[in-house]
Amino acid sequence: MKGIVFVKFNEFIEELWGEEFWDELLDEAELPSEGVYTTVGTYDDQELFTLIGLVVDKQNISAKNAQFAFGKWVFKELYNLAPAGAHDFKDVFKFLHAVQDFIHVEVKKLNPDALLPEFEFLSETPNQLTFHYQSPRKLCFFCEGIVQGLAEHTGQEVKVSQTECEHEGGQRCVIEVDKV
Amino acid sequence: MKKPFEYQTGKLLSDGIRSVTELEKRIAVLERKAVREKKARNLAENELERYSLEIHQTNQSLKDALAFSTKKQSELEFLGKASMGVASELPLNDMICNMVELTCQYCSAEYGFYFVTENGLGVDGKLDKSWREGDGWQSRSELQKLVNANLPLSETEVLDSWLASAVSDDNNQHLEQFAWVLYMNFALSENKIGWLAFLSKMELVDEEIFPILATARGHLKSGIQRRLTDVHILKRNVQLQDSVNSLENAKRQLIQSEKMASLGQLAAGVAHEINNPIAFIRSNMQVLKEYLKDYKSLHDKLKSEFETHQNLNLLSFKTLCEKVDLAYIDKDSVDLLTSNIEGLNRVGDIVDNLKNFSRAGNAEMTQMSLYKCVDAALRITGNVFKYEHQLDNQLSESCPLVLGNLGQLQQVFMNLFSNAAYAMEGGGKLSISHTESDHRVTIHVQDTGRGMDEGTIGKLFTPFFTTKPVGVGTGLGLSISYAILEAHDAQVTVDSKIGVGTTFNLSFPVNT
Repeated sequence: MKGIVFVKFNEFIEELWGEEFWDELLDEAELPSEGVYTTVGTYDDQELFTLIGLVVDKQNISAKNAQFAFGKWVFKELYNLAPAGAHDFKDVFKFLHAVQDFIHVEVKKLNPDALLPEFEFLSETPNQLTFHYQSPRKLCFFCEGIVQGLAEHTGQEVKVSQTECEHEGGQRCVIEVDKV
Repeated sequence: MKKPFEYQTGKLLSDGIRSVTELEKRIAVLERKAVREKKARNLAENELERYSLEIHQTNQSLKDALAFSTKKQSELEFLGKASMGVASELPLNDMICNMVELTCQYCSAEYGFYFVTENGLGVDGKLDKSWREGDGWQSRSELQKLVNANLPLSETEVLDSWLASAVSDDNNQHLEQFAWVLYMNFALSENKIGWLAFLSKMELVDEEIFPILATARGHLKSGIQRRLTDVHILKRNVQLQDSVNSLENAKRQLIQSEKMASLGQLAAGVAHEINNPIAFIRSNMQVLKEYLKDYKSLHDKLKSEFETHQNLNLLSFKTLCEKVDLAYIDKDSVDLLTSNIEGLNRVGDIVDNLKNFSRAGNAEMTQMSLYKCVDAALRITGNVFKYEHQLDNQLSESCPLVLGNLGQLQQVFMNLFSNAAYAMEGGGKLSISHTESDHRVTIHVQDTGRGMDEGTIGKLFTPFFTTKPVGVGTGLGLSISYAILEAHDAQVTVDSKIGVGTTFNLSFPVNT
């Protein structure tokens, strides 16, 4: 996973629970990288999962909430890094299409080995959009958080939920976004 | 520094007094953080360095690839243009000059040369001229001397490949300073050798151009070969045309001599045909001569009777007339003269038809009647069927007209008729009829002769094949007939059965 995610996760944790907590996490996690993260590096996915696991234990929150909160928080950070054309979208649905059709294409150009999720759009009405989230990392809750963060950015009020989820016995993860 | 806050409530955590232990703990956290950040910075810097090195290398390899593809492009362009020149319809010398220009540009030489030698001496090509980019072909005899001095012109063997040798000549001192001469040669017709040479000022010859030049040389050689072969083929064509013309002449002569030969055979028959009327005309003339004598004696008697009696009575006139049988002489004279005129007409007809037949004539075709043609042929050959054979000519004026040459077709039919007569030695029947279908008219010439076996039928139209004894037939009749019929777009089929007879079917396109 790209270093930017780890750097942002570090910022997120420190913002929430302080530098001591982050220091504590690293101390217990015994990561191969020792928590020395830079945006230009690439790190083992497992390090993020280990860190999230520790947060869940220590703060007594669910993994779902942890991922969702990080996703929601990280959206604006990633948005600022997105390629120029990505800033023209004022609607959640249009932006989600652009993620698949435009942003991920640009990301692939810069990082040919980046492992990106695929969105398979299943249905769309003016007020409801459903898509199949496919990623070997299975970070569907993180994705839900990002969509929520996106909606805050566009100033739209939405309800993000999953009609099917692999973590809850489903065959796949289907995310539904409803404009309220 | 950001202040820590409670995730759930957002309430600020204790900002109050901390114990020394807490402060020490905090310092330790910050120190570890500082260490991590320093390591991260080092990592990032290393990473950046690695990136810039990678980019530099990528850039370098891109430049190399560009240079490589530019070179390949110029090679391809050279080879492509060279192939086009070779494959074009340019004459030999133009094609080679084009190759000189392309090669000179490709190997960045100063001057290009093309000349032809025979026994080491320049005889053809662009002698004393050289090509230079921008100037084209210009006379530069001093450069030609320099090239001549550096090339193995006296060698009679053609080189296997391109060669490059350092220019070594005193003249070079006074001219531009050339470093290399690049050259190759190729065989032309009649022991001539063509040379391509290039003068270069470059210090080193790029060895990589040689495989490309070798390919172009292959193209050039095949182009030269093709053009030389074309010239050869052209010569052969002219020779062939000459042969065809002389064969055509020979054929015409052959047809004429065959005609003469068959004429000879016919002469005997025709002589008989002419002799007959001549014989009876002669005998009639004898009789007429006697009748004339009778008239004279009657006249004399009448004269003396008149002189004696100064008068002539009817009775004595009648008596005198009866004495010479004048009534009979009158009647018979008319018969004899009519018969003579008929006889002379017959002779005239035969002679006319013979004249028609023997006229060499060109093969000009006109609309003609097969009926008349067969009739004329029968008039000449007819006598052979007169005694032992029956003749059944069913053709009539209703037989369709065809486009043909009367004399030639008459010759064909005469040939068929005399063959039929020969096959029916001792008697038989010759039938001539016609049928029509699909805009063609077919003449059937059927005899009841001895017939032919398969072997004979197979060789029927072969020149000089004959079943007649030596000295009787030339063996050319049917083969010439066949050639004539082909020229008339006529088709020939033969049905024959041993002991039963033979039918020749000649089918002509109807001329409407």
